[in-house]
Amino acid sequence: MSAALDRQIRPIYDALDTGSNKSAIVACNKLLKKHPQNELIKALKALALVRSQKVEESLVLCDEVLDSKPTNDAVLSAMTHVLRGLGRHKDMVTMFEEAYKQQPFNEELGAQTFFANVRAGQWKSAQQIATKMHKQFHDDRYLYWNVMSAVLQANDAATPPNMRTLLYKLAHRLITSSPTPSYQNNDRFYLHLSILRELELYDDAHKLLDSDIGRAICSTSLSCNQIRRDIWRLRGMIREEGELAEARIMNMKDRNWLEFLSILDATFSYFTPSEADGPSSSETSKSEGLEHLAKTQELFTRIAEEDGPKDRSAGLALLELEKRARSHGISQDSGRLVGLMQRYFDQVGDKACCFEDLKPYLALEGEDLARWTSFLEAVPSSFTTPAELRRLMNAHKLLRHNLTPPQLTVEAETARVTRYLDEYLRGLKLGVDLPPTELQHADDLALLAANVLVNLWKLTSDEQYLLNAVTLLEYALTKSKHSFQARLILIRLYRLLGAPSLALEHYRTLGIKQVQHDTLSHFILSRASTFSLASTGDLTLATECLESTQIYISNSQETSDFVVRAFTAEKYSQIPEFIVFEDRLDNSLQRDIVKMEHLRMRISHEPINSDIIDMELIELKFIFDRTHHDNRDFDIIANYQPRSSDSIHLQTLLFGKQESLGWLWTFLKLYIRALQQGSDLDDTVEEKLLIGDRPKQTFDADKRPPLKERLVQKSDQELVELTQDELSFVEFASALAEWLEPYHDYTRPPPSVVLAEAAKQTEIKTGHPLKGVDLQELNGATTPKKEEEPPAVTEPPELVTKYFDSLKTRFAEVRKNPSPTEVLHVATLAQEALLLFTVETLRFKPASVVKVNKLGGLVASFKCIRSEAISVLREISSELLKQSEAAGTQESRKDFTEACEIVTNAGIDHDFTLGVAKKVTDARKKVLEGVSKGLGRVSSATNLTSLRTCRTEAKLQQEHRSTV
Amino acid sequence: MSVLRPFKATDMFKFNNINLDIWTETYGIGFYLNYLSRWPDLCCVQEAPSGRMMGYVIGKAEGVSTEWHGHVTAITVAPEYRRLSLARKMMRLVEMVTDEIYKGFFVDLYVRCANTVAIEMYEGMGYSVYRRVREYYGNLGLGKGGRDEEDAFDMRKPMSRDPNRRSVRANGRDMIVSAHDVS
Repeated sequence: MSAALDRQIRPIYDALDTGSNKSAIVACNKLLKKHPQNELIKALKALALVRSQKVEESLVLCDEVLDSKPTNDAVLSAMTHVLRGLGRHKDMVTMFEEAYKQQPFNEELGAQTFFANVRAGQWKSAQQIATKMHKQFHDDRYLYWNVMSAVLQANDAATPPNMRTLLYKLAHRLITSSPTPSYQNNDRFYLHLSILRELELYDDAHKLLDSDIGRAICSTSLSCNQIRRDIWRLRGMIREEGELAEARIMNMKDRNWLEFLSILDATFSYFTPSEADGPSSSETSKSEGLEHLAKTQELFTRIAEEDGPKDRSAGLALLELEKRARSHGISQDSGRLVGLMQRYFDQVGDKACCFEDLKPYLALEGEDLARWTSFLEAVPSSFTTPAELRRLMNAHKLLRHNLTPPQLTVEAETARVTRYLDEYLRGLKLGVDLPPTELQHADDLALLAANVLVNLWKLTSDEQYLLNAVTLLEYALTKSKHSFQARLILIRLYRLLGAPSLALEHYRTLGIKQVQHDTLSHFILSRASTFSLASTGDLTLATECLESTQIYISNSQETSDFVVRAFTAEKYSQIPEFIVFEDRLDNSLQRDIVKMEHLRMRISHEPINSDIIDMELIELKFIFDRTHHDNRDFDIIANYQPRSSDSIHLQTLLFGKQESLGWLWTFLKLYIRALQQGSDLDDTVEEKLLIGDRPKQTFDADKRPPLKERLVQKSDQELVELTQDELSFVEFASALAEWLEPYHDYTRPPPSVVLAEAAKQTEIKTGHPLKGVDLQELNGATTPKKEEEPPAVTEPPELVTKYFDSLKTRFAEVRKNPSPTEVLHVATLAQEALLLFTVETLRFKPASVVKVNKLGGLVASFKCIRSEAISVLREISSELLKQSEAAGTQESRKDFTEACEIVTNAGIDHDFTLGVAKKVTDARKKVLEGVSKGLGRVSSATNLTSLRTCRTEAKLQQEHRSTV
Repeated sequence: MSVLRPFKATDMFKFNNINLDIWTETYGIGFYLNYLSRWPDLCCVQEAPSGRMMGYVIGKAEGVSTEWHGHVTAITVAPEYRRLSLARKMMRLVEMVTDEIYKGFFVDLYVRCANTVAIEMYEGMGYSVYRRVREYYGNLGLGKGGRDEEDAFDMRKPMSRDPNRRSVRANGRDMIVSAHDVS
């Protein structure tokens, strides 16, 4: 390229770098006049077009450049970005492969080709490139790339299980063929060992490990040592492992808990004789074991004494030893366990982790339990130092953990809450001088009290306990403003109380970001459509849904880059981990639960037309083929409920139901079915219109029954996750779909017509024909005259006609509940049912369609159902408005403060309580009013659109291309 | 009593009890993946027997010639597991790996000048202040501690490859540099 041209191209890069895509396009156009065939300018223009969402035009340029089979570095790199923007990873592979073929001595190009395959997850061709590179450039690293790719192919879900071992064997053959031994590099060594472990070649692995260099690597590398430990165990070297662990503990002062576990496993290996030992040896083995047990006990006791309070390992190891001895029936002293627990408490009781440390040993009974309980009860409740306070709090938590149902009466729990509150307020005094960013020492007492209040609510169904709990926690947050534990419970309670805006406020204060959206957004987005005001134009929650999904975009854009980097840096131990991570995020259950919630909000806000139907359909179908991973973090809320009762997480779930895969699948099936009926897209049309790679399928994907069958499958296991009201909504939806299916199928235009129309629109818009569609062939495509008669019009099923009426009854049942959550649930589902009805009947709007297909009778019954639905919605709406007015009165605030007797009696200021009361009642008023208005709007809109026709095929193509 | 093990990419799904704490930042996934793709042996986790994460350290190796060293980018322990010497154990691992695998001359880390508890702990472990970096922590603004809140001490500890302790100095607290001058 000439220097002059180079100078002229520079500004285009600058424009792209600063995001001024428009000026980049202008600059490209100018240069293209002089250099119409320049690939680089074309590629850069394509990039600017992709980035300004002009997918259509970009595609044309992109394909032109690809056809020219570029080899120039700058062009390839620009095209990498274009293709990535279009989701065409496979085309990227082809592009690099073509380039590499032309320049087989270009090592960099070879590496890029390999990486393109890595990004697309095409391990088999990655292997081939690596093989070629190894032959050509004689660098061992390429051999290892080959080995790693074989392993990754073995692990891939698209690989049938019977291929796995074969691929590992291949990897093994390759790695042993390496001219340099794997131990020259820790990560190569790790890879080698992991292959041997997979193939169960433990002796070979042992040989590697048992060398000086192998031992040296394991002593400094945690990951290699981990795999060594594994292999030793698998090889039956449990006792050797125990000896090694003992040496590490004694000589190197290693206090890794894994070493203690190794000693414990070795000790108890005598009591689970392996078959190899033969039956006669079991007796000798037992006596040997008892001897060993005594030795281990002595060892741990000695270390515990040496370490003192500095390290808790040996103390806990003694507990674990005793617990295991008990389970083997070889404990020498029945009082020993509790004695050890007491000693542990004496030593570690003033550390916050003591409760968690002791948890595995708390399942005591009878005499033991009585001794332990009276020991804890004797812990003094006067405290003058934070350490004493922590000791007391640990005693409370430990005692509470073992409470049995008869001890959990309303009176007893009330007494507990009074005590915790009193101690909490006294304990605050210990922290008056703490900086405002620190947490109060007494915080756990407030959390304990909140746990008890929630339990009281569960016992009595009396809302006053929740009101006390939120007041207390709000108070605790004024003292420890960064207590995320208090906030998490508050978020749950505010949703239960029907004050979602307060829940959101706390959620936002937590500062959830990045990957935490995946694990924690369930706190605010679970069944969030119940509280959504999208129908009134308030998109707060819908936006929250979209924001939480940013992380999935980062994942698909960034993670594969780091897989590539790990290859470059030869960090083989990380590569499988990165891929698992990428997969778990990409196929996250929470991601698609949020997607579902967002769709439910979206249809209440946007006019329902064919564009929305087609696009959502395509996306939901992709989701339906995923294998989901549940990454949600439910353990984060500290649970202080007794082991005999539900955890606080379960107790505070909205509607007492946890949605999971079953819920998601039920709603996916429901919506895919409805959208598919309402859409003109069939698979062949979709195939032509979609751009970008399709999601990778598992190896057995083709054995699945056809989609149509899968959509009507039902399982009780899935349905348990639904609330009663969701269940009746699902029944309504499936009855509706069943009823309308034949009319949809009869009326839907044939694929050739749909495609011709789409092609025509593309050409009008971009001036280029739709790729892969032969217009000539389609030109004659018109709706052929149907030979069959239209299906006879049938009466709507009762499940459909009676549905809205039954909602009225259901609404009357729940409207007296103190919390508005349940009425909101019924109301928003009623709204959703009407919207779903609109989706299902949209096709039959145009009078011409009705006439041609002789569906007049059908449309008449729609009218009845619709007007019935609208009248029910309006009724609910006006009732909600009344409730909203009542919620915001001084009266309701007064009721609130009066209900908060427990906390005000304990000493929390009345004015403070009044402040919380005002916030809660206002929040309730706001959500009731909003949902009420929304119902009104949806009803009116439905009434109006019945006069409009709105099938606009025109936009179809454009919308697809820009979103997919 | 805790398990010391390598930091894995999937630990990002379970570090909430550590990262929800106000003092621990949650970075983009690229941050963690970058460290893991280059210095996985300098990133490790302390885990309770229950599987709950207690704390983690993320480090790297960088610098040229005698400045080649291990650097602690982030070290954090969940509130409920503080005062159990976990940080000490993780630092020991970083030092061991820097010394034996990377053959670095020293290990260094940055700490808020106001954080006397941490500074004392590091001093107890053999670290000393090498320099004071002005306005290193800009995000929280000036708090009660004034300059000490936003300035950082760069603390170092020589490794076996630096037997003459050339990488440290006695008057480090008086050596003031601006944040632009450090990487």
